[in-house]
Amino acid sequence: MRNKRISGNIKAIPFLLPFFVVYVLFTIWPIIKGLQMSFYDWSIIKKIRFIGLENYAQMLHDPDFWASLWHTTLFVLFSTPTMVILALVLALLANKKSKLQAFYRGAYFLPTILSVSVISYLAIFMLQPYSGFINSFLHLIGIHAEPFWMAGPHLAWVSIVGVTLWWTVGFNMILFLAALQDIPDYMYEAAKIDGATRWQLFWNITLPQLIPVGRIILLLQVLASYKIFAQIMLITNGGPGTSTRPIIQYIYQTGFHKYNLGYAATMSYGLFVILLILSILQLKGQTSQGGES
Amino acid sequence: MRKSRAVMGNLLPFIIAIIFIFPIIWMLFVSLKPQGLGISNPLKWFLPPYTFTNYVHIIADFQVLRWLLNSLFVGIVTTIITLIVTSLAAFAISKINFQYKKFIFIFFLIGLMVPGEATLIPLYQIAQSMHILDSYIGLIVPGIASPLGVIVLKSFFDSVPKEVIESARMDGCSLFRIYYSIVLPLAKPALASIAIFTFIGSWNNFLWPYMITFSDHLYTLPVGIPVFNSNYSQDYILPMTVNAVSSIPLIIAFFFFEKQIVKGISFSGIKG
Repeated sequence: MRNKRISGNIKAIPFLLPFFVVYVLFTIWPIIKGLQMSFYDWSIIKKIRFIGLENYAQMLHDPDFWASLWHTTLFVLFSTPTMVILALVLALLANKKSKLQAFYRGAYFLPTILSVSVISYLAIFMLQPYSGFINSFLHLIGIHAEPFWMAGPHLAWVSIVGVTLWWTVGFNMILFLAALQDIPDYMYEAAKIDGATRWQLFWNITLPQLIPVGRIILLLQVLASYKIFAQIMLITNGGPGTSTRPIIQYIYQTGFHKYNLGYAATMSYGLFVILLILSILQLKGQTSQGGES
Repeated sequence: MRKSRAVMGNLLPFIIAIIFIFPIIWMLFVSLKPQGLGISNPLKWFLPPYTFTNYVHIIADFQVLRWLLNSLFVGIVTTIITLIVTSLAAFAISKINFQYKKFIFIFFLIGLMVPGEATLIPLYQIAQSMHILDSYIGLIVPGIASPLGVIVLKSFFDSVPKEVIESARMDGCSLFRIYYSIVLPLAKPALASIAIFTFIGSWNNFLWPYMITFSDHLYTLPVGIPVFNSNYSQDYILPMTVNAVSSIPLIIAFFFFEKQIVKGISFSGIKG
């Protein structure tokens, strides 16, 4: 028996090794390395110096860190509910029996497969004042306003939320759609025999059955929204001023424009801890609620 | 009343669908317009004259073609290596009896919990000390380290009955032979989903290639598009053509592989 196990070990090694090596080098090692870097004054241009917790102290007193974290949180607060609810609505629409069902699914999902550069430049060209499609369309239907979609801080945020919604909501829709199709038909049949209306079917069968996947989507969405960066960098570059700069962009600029890699790594860890706490809170909320029902 | 509700019920999904694909349709029409056209009426974008010269221009522009080929090369190589290393590891965990199996599997799960964005800075530092910045290796290798494929494939391999494996062993099949000729063919649907998902992820990846490529002949399309567009300010016809060129392969792939893409997303939902 023991010999068999040891021979199993030897046999498993060639299968495990290739993935193991890549995984340790490029996924695990960066996690450890990041923690190490956060204790150093780590710069590309200067000598590296151990400074203990100084980076962490700096982070707690850095108004730019808190401002960018606040912008990102605002984005999460505004975009998450719309992202989840619209995804549910689209899934319901795309699940209805219709000759165009396949077209609806495809259309709602199609933007998701485009690259962030493509959707950002599509947004820029559509939202451009004077020559963009949206404003010239407004003129065409008799509205002679010239909104600067990417200039004012409020409007810039509206544009970013709108573009991100259009680009990524299809992903959540697919998750809802898969859950909708898993609801067994007999539940609806039985309720119909009891004379339930369509509205009652939705409230008492569909919606409760979707709650588990809804929670997963909510968690994934919050995590994904906190990591927003590329489309903001390309569309507004964090502007006007720094009013739309998200946390990842601030980390990126600290690391690669100011060459302060140690402090950038510290803030990455700060973000990671926040995301971890959010995940734990959300998972805990789920289990305690699950216990009640 | 009833009738108007039915009309609404059919009209609403249709209108939303049109809104969703409209920017993409517009992009394709703009890419077909002759350059230097001052268009003030937005409906004119959709009317003739049409021309393919923009596409000729883009293909003849060696730079954009190079970026396209880079994206294709990086995407294909990343996908193939990912399939090989993840399926090998998943096979070991699912079908070979060895010590610390549970520990190894949990070790692989850790990587799922840490968002990639949180480790970009140290990853960059590591890539620098390995001298793989600004190279194809640097573009490809970090992309294959995702454990999601291992987890999905393991659950697929688990459904291959033990008896099949054991009788093959009795007949003197090597483990590698079992992996290659029995288990892999049975997992084709899962492999296809992972392949398409990995390829799209790589094709669209922006942040990492943007950080580590400095020479413009190594840019992938998502990195090259902003460079091209910011150097070009006459109008947006040519930039839109570049957008179209980088989207059309994906749109075509989407029509062929919609099923697998959708399945791949359901897998990533399991991850959460």
